[in-house]
Amino acid sequence: MPNPQNANSQHATGLMSLTAAKLLETLLNEAIRLDAQHGAAFKALPECAIQLHLKDVQVNFYLVCTDYGISVQNALKGEADACIQTELAELVALHRTGQLNNAQLSGDDALATQFIQALANLDIDWEEHLSHYTGDLIAFKVGQAARSFAHAKETAKQQAADTLKEYLQFELNALPTKDQVMRFTDEVNRLQEQTDAIAERIEQLLNKRPHKADA
Amino acid sequence: MSQNKRTIDFGFSEVPLEEKVKKVKGVFDSVADKYDIMNDVMSMGIHRLWKRHTIELSGIRPGQSVLDLAGGTGDLTKAFAKRVGQSGRVVLADINESMVRVGRDRLINQGIAGNVDYTITNAEALAFPDNTFDLATIAFGLRNVTNKDKALEELYRVLKPGGQLMVLEFSKVTQPLLSKAYDFYSFNILPKMGKLIADDEASYQYLAESIRMHPDQETLKQMMLDAGFDKAEYLNMSEGIVALHRGWKY
Repeated sequence: MPNPQNANSQHATGLMSLTAAKLLETLLNEAIRLDAQHGAAFKALPECAIQLHLKDVQVNFYLVCTDYGISVQNALKGEADACIQTELAELVALHRTGQLNNAQLSGDDALATQFIQALANLDIDWEEHLSHYTGDLIAFKVGQAARSFAHAKETAKQQAADTLKEYLQFELNALPTKDQVMRFTDEVNRLQEQTDAIAERIEQLLNKRPHKADA
Repeated sequence: MSQNKRTIDFGFSEVPLEEKVKKVKGVFDSVADKYDIMNDVMSMGIHRLWKRHTIELSGIRPGQSVLDLAGGTGDLTKAFAKRVGQSGRVVLADINESMVRVGRDRLINQGIAGNVDYTITNAEALAFPDNTFDLATIAFGLRNVTNKDKALEELYRVLKPGGQLMVLEFSKVTQPLLSKAYDFYSFNILPKMGKLIADDEASYQYLAESIRMHPDQETLKQMMLDAGFDKAEYLNMSEGIVALHRGWKY
């Protein structure tokens, strides 16, 4: 059963759902238009309807794929050809991770996998598209600034994490270091082994002790 | 409803039965070129939401066949064509040649081709075999039809079993205060806007009057059931300014 909610999902849709569907449709089709391969992977898909169920926000979308692109709607007559159940955060991170590790696929699994791969492989060269409006030089400068900003953000994030870690471990002594944790774990393991050995030894001594009846 | 009389309403006036088609044709010939822009201005763009909602509720999918009756300039046809794909088919049908021509040119210019047919047809005598379409829509067109009962019967006939009819039409406002404001807008502002934008005050006066003469929600629902539909329901949009009626053939 591709549909986790109901088999015939023709329900009333509110303004928010309409807006969300339209927004997703616009984003997907714009991404396909800007893709370096012009969404060739999507064109390879057969005409189909794919259900996208976002578990964390409890939202269903039906993605209707045809030669004209992707249409997104909140209802579908009958069942979708394939269903992808995932979480919004995982879907947003798809471009970075390249896969939906925790997604559940049902219906035509191969079709769902093909669709996910097509989404993950969208490759948009922002500088190239920007250069059509601003010229190469400005587009390059903007791109360089964006890359520098992303790098600086990553570095600052790493530095903040390191500083906080050192403060908690060495200044406040609130948290142990990695080595301390490993030593503690080793000691616990050793103690466990020794305890097991003593328990075994006591068991053997008890077995060797003569019974009262025998005495 | 005066469909058994020799005259019928044309807005607030009565005209001979056979005259209504010509008069409606005259109205739409007059407004065809500026129909889209006028719709946007008159409804402040909300007609796009009403249509989008209709498309959503249709649940249409690739491979299906759709009749967009009174399809006019092709708003719904475009959306349906994108959804049914090349394995499906959409027929844009309208009694008015000018509207079909504008719609056809517009869709072709937007790259919608190959799965759309265009035809000039009277809603009361549809030129299609029985059980042809999975979905039939008539958006803002039924009130202009002379014999609405006959048109509904025809729509029922051409639907496949399991098919659905969607009638999107102006209806009766449910909120009294809004109703007064809406009346003022319709009879005082709308015709003036028609004159300003399309240089045609009379046609827009007719549009306002025809909306008031159109059956209300419950009456239209009953008409659909009388026409043979096995189930009918309606959904008010914008406090009943527009209602979406849906009928199913089982």
